[in-house]
Amino acid sequence: MVSMEEISQALQKGKAKIVQELVQQALDEGVSAKTVLEEGLLAGMDVIGVKFKNNEVYIPEVLIAARAMNAGTTVLKPYLNESGEAAIGKAVIGTVKGDLHDIGKNLVRMMLEGKGIEVIDLGVDVSAEQFLDAYQKEHPDIIGCSALLTTTMSEMKNVVNAFEAAGVRDKVTIMIGGAPVTEAFCQSIGADIYTPDAASAAEAAKQVLTNKHNA
Amino acid sequence: MDKRERFYKTIHRESVDRPAFWLGLPTDAALPALLKHFGAKDFQGLKKIVDDDIWTVICPYHSPVSDLIEDPFKFSMFLEHTESSAERTLTQPGFFAGMEDPSEIDRFDWPDPAQYIDREAIRRQMAEAPKDRAIMGVLWASHFQLAFEAFGMEDALITMKLQPECFEAVINRITEFYLQANQIFLEETKGQLDAILIGNDFGTQNGLMTSPEDLREFVFSGTRQMIEQAHSYGVTVVHHSCGSVFDVIPDLIACGADVIHPIQALARNMEPERLKENFGNQVAFCGGLDAQELLVNGTPDAVYQRASELLDLFPTGLVLSPSHEAILPDVPVQNVEAMVRAVRDRG
Repeated sequence: MVSMEEISQALQKGKAKIVQELVQQALDEGVSAKTVLEEGLLAGMDVIGVKFKNNEVYIPEVLIAARAMNAGTTVLKPYLNESGEAAIGKAVIGTVKGDLHDIGKNLVRMMLEGKGIEVIDLGVDVSAEQFLDAYQKEHPDIIGCSALLTTTMSEMKNVVNAFEAAGVRDKVTIMIGGAPVTEAFCQSIGADIYTPDAASAAEAAKQVLTNKHNA
Repeated sequence: MDKRERFYKTIHRESVDRPAFWLGLPTDAALPALLKHFGAKDFQGLKKIVDDDIWTVICPYHSPVSDLIEDPFKFSMFLEHTESSAERTLTQPGFFAGMEDPSEIDRFDWPDPAQYIDREAIRRQMAEAPKDRAIMGVLWASHFQLAFEAFGMEDALITMKLQPECFEAVINRITEFYLQANQIFLEETKGQLDAILIGNDFGTQNGLMTSPEDLREFVFSGTRQMIEQAHSYGVTVVHHSCGSVFDVIPDLIACGADVIHPIQALARNMEPERLKENFGNQVAFCGGLDAQELLVNGTPDAVYQRASELLDLFPTGLVLSPSHEAILPDVPVQNVEAMVRAVRDRG
């Protein structure tokens, strides 16, 4: 009998093929897709997130763990659809206009997915209008903006302004992050949440969704 | 004390009239305001006006695909390789994305640096350089970062973990290119050059991008070879890495780096005070004046005050400079002036 701990451990080590096999085996043994997802895959990503935040693992280890998670969810997907399991929420993320740095944003995407959140990734050099368009189309719970440069972080203010001007500011949580971004800056532009790293961003996003569901 | 002597005494941690100062490399977008404010005609004129102790020269490189020695390979599979590199991102898929066998290394058309480095232009720059300043060749030679570009950053880091022999083949080939390129530059500048600037970004705001063990396994042997090569010409090495690199500073010292640049002061564990306490008697530093918050948003008084504190902390052993050499256009010129004034007031 496959234990969820085995799946979690294999994921943490980035063993994509083994994760895939273990997930299939667990399903064949009658474990529900929801259990495999939550107690195997997402639990493994949780551990990686905490270790990453504490500098116990680094970007490559996060990347191979996320890759293993994707391998596992590919097997799970048909079963999840069948049982009506859905993502716990949706986020639209991107690196702001004028900025092409995306490794941090990509890590946020992986960590959010590791919390069971659906992510629409708009890529780099994303204007306030593009964030707003994506909101109108996707109706996410969260907008996530990333910037590496002091010269581009001010674009985050334009994103906040665009949502205010469209009258939808209170419908969405705007999260920001990136090397030069601080809590004080977050408050000064009227964004909702600043987090200093990808793992903290995912934890905060999950909290937002939990609060929303409990409200 | 002339500027060259000041540079050497500063990096050797000997007594100086005032620590050496390096303005850095303002971006094209930041330069016009600086030139106007200081009344300079061009960048080199600006350096003279602000009493910069370091004169920079570049390694002129012109190939059919690149005019930049720091970015000489056309790895990107999608974008045109532009001279400005303005559209360059390391995360795009590169030529070696999905590499499965180290033998694939020869599929790429590796340029021969001897064919594309303009030796005459190097000699011309050296002839024009003021004789009383420390002359530093800005070579970058970023073998680790270019390995990111070779695969695409995520693919590179995954390959490093899952197919290390493929990653190693690529980074070693890039290192080979730079050992050849640097050799040409060092030969052409023999007896006239004081330092070279090389390096890779190893850090994020919060820590290293990869584990110290991975850096030791894949990166530092190339770093050591380039440093030893420069030392064989009697040239000092300023090693650059943005971000929080506290954990590998001992490795960089062991590789032979003479100066650690740029001290990204707001990154985790990179406060100049901490670095002085831990490594101040082992190596010199360059940088330290925060360019993420202070130089951008601080007042000239605050900049002057912090620069003065750093000069008190490091009466020698620190070449004072912005914590990011590429001064961006959001740094007010008055803050640059305040930094310059703090240095001048020591001399």
